[in-house]
Amino acid sequence: MQVKKVRIDPQWQSRLESIGYGYHTLDGIPYWIDDYYYEIRNRDADLIYKATNELWQMCLDAVEYIIKNKQYQHFHIPPFIIPHLERSWHNDDPSIYGRFDFSYDAINGKLKMLEFNADTPTSLFETGIVQWYWKNHYFPELTDQFNSIHEQLIKSWTELKPYLRGAILHFSCAKETLEDLTNVEYLRDTALQAGIDTKLIYINDIGWTGSSFVDLEGEPILSIFKLYPWEWMAQEEFAVHIINDPNEAQWIEPSWKMLLSNKAILSILWELFPNHPHLLPAYFDEPAHLKHFVKKPILSREGANIEMYYDKQMIYHTEGEYGEEGYVYQELANLHREDTGFSIIGSWVIGQEACGISFRESDMPITTDKSRFIPHIIRH
Amino acid sequence: MRKTATNSIKLVLITSVLASCAPPNDKENAESKQRVFMRADSTAAYTEVTGNYTQGHSGGGMGSALLWFMAFRHLGGGFGYANNSLHPQSVAGTNAAKAAAYQAQRGGFGRNAASTTRSSYGS
Repeated sequence: MQVKKVRIDPQWQSRLESIGYGYHTLDGIPYWIDDYYYEIRNRDADLIYKATNELWQMCLDAVEYIIKNKQYQHFHIPPFIIPHLERSWHNDDPSIYGRFDFSYDAINGKLKMLEFNADTPTSLFETGIVQWYWKNHYFPELTDQFNSIHEQLIKSWTELKPYLRGAILHFSCAKETLEDLTNVEYLRDTALQAGIDTKLIYINDIGWTGSSFVDLEGEPILSIFKLYPWEWMAQEEFAVHIINDPNEAQWIEPSWKMLLSNKAILSILWELFPNHPHLLPAYFDEPAHLKHFVKKPILSREGANIEMYYDKQMIYHTEGEYGEEGYVYQELANLHREDTGFSIIGSWVIGQEACGISFRESDMPITTDKSRFIPHIIRH
Repeated sequence: MRKTATNSIKLVLITSVLASCAPPNDKENAESKQRVFMRADSTAAYTEVTGNYTQGHSGGGMGSALLWFMAFRHLGGGFGYANNSLHPQSVAGTNAAKAAAYQAQRGGFGRNAASTTRSSYGS
């Protein structure tokens, strides 16, 4: 696995925009990298595929364990929402996707789970579509890519369609964010191609009539995909209507995903699967035996409020507004490093199956919302 | 294991997202200064739009364009989400469903996003 360069397409921005990708540059700094890429081998892709499927199954086992044994104390989930969470699990409410973040030491074949973005993962459009078009532009032949995200989304929606409660599947995200809107519209695009009727509604515009969530035309919302964090929804005014909704609207991702998007799951997984080759040791309290570790808030996003320790001395940290709910302590992983920066691998599980990867690269060994997206190919 | 995508990816919606977020051009600005009569329901009366949809927005970036995108949707609700440019008489008419939608409480989700300015609320 290594970074390689290509002669940049001078029209790269307009080429990306022509396929609907508008956030390739953030604050004047490219987020999308067009002139270098990761080249991996088939065996790397096979390892990531196998590990992702295995970890997904382990996560489901962990959810079952937590619910069965009511081990909610470390998650800081508001108690009033837990019955809804349990109901969504027992009802097998549909889940469409998630993204594991891995560190990868390709030389020694060590692939370690850093976290699981189970509730509101983004970068789906650039992974599924933009990097595929990128590959076809620069490498039209003799290469491959670990990427069947588009087909897997359509297949998964097709399989979920009979289980949707409403005739219309609503899609929602916050206003004023092109990145989230693009991800949601891409997902809606694939649902349409699966034969599902859809509507877009911004999260702020969802209405409550006293007996039903409704869209802007008064149509009841019975099934809705939302790109909006559950931990935020649970704090907001309409949260009480979620649990008392006579229609029992299906929220996708379902509320049981609150257990997997919470970094407390890292410690639970280590308890349930100690010394698993794809897990890093993780604990709720700072363990004396760990010299090199990362302190992560159980609820944080985009690398905020991370503290990295080496020989118990803090060497990096990021700012943010998270941490009041508590932390986990995870052994420091070796991130892949090139001259261009440190990278992690995002591996998507869609409809119960691993189906594509992305690379994110940073100047420091913590991945944030400023980290660059690097396309990849598999060289035969 | 299915690793490879096909060569025939089809997108039916997504390119319109970027198009809808493009900055309004001079022609659109000129048109927005014309008198406009609108209604949000076919059974409601037309009234003149009194404001300029592209103004009065405090957000950054693509905000104005998104407001245009929303301007032709029904913005009901007594919670600050009705667009003041559209007269209440033109919202629902005799359509009971739209009247109910107009009366629905809105804004009960989204407070956390409104209190932070980020490029994404995903992870």
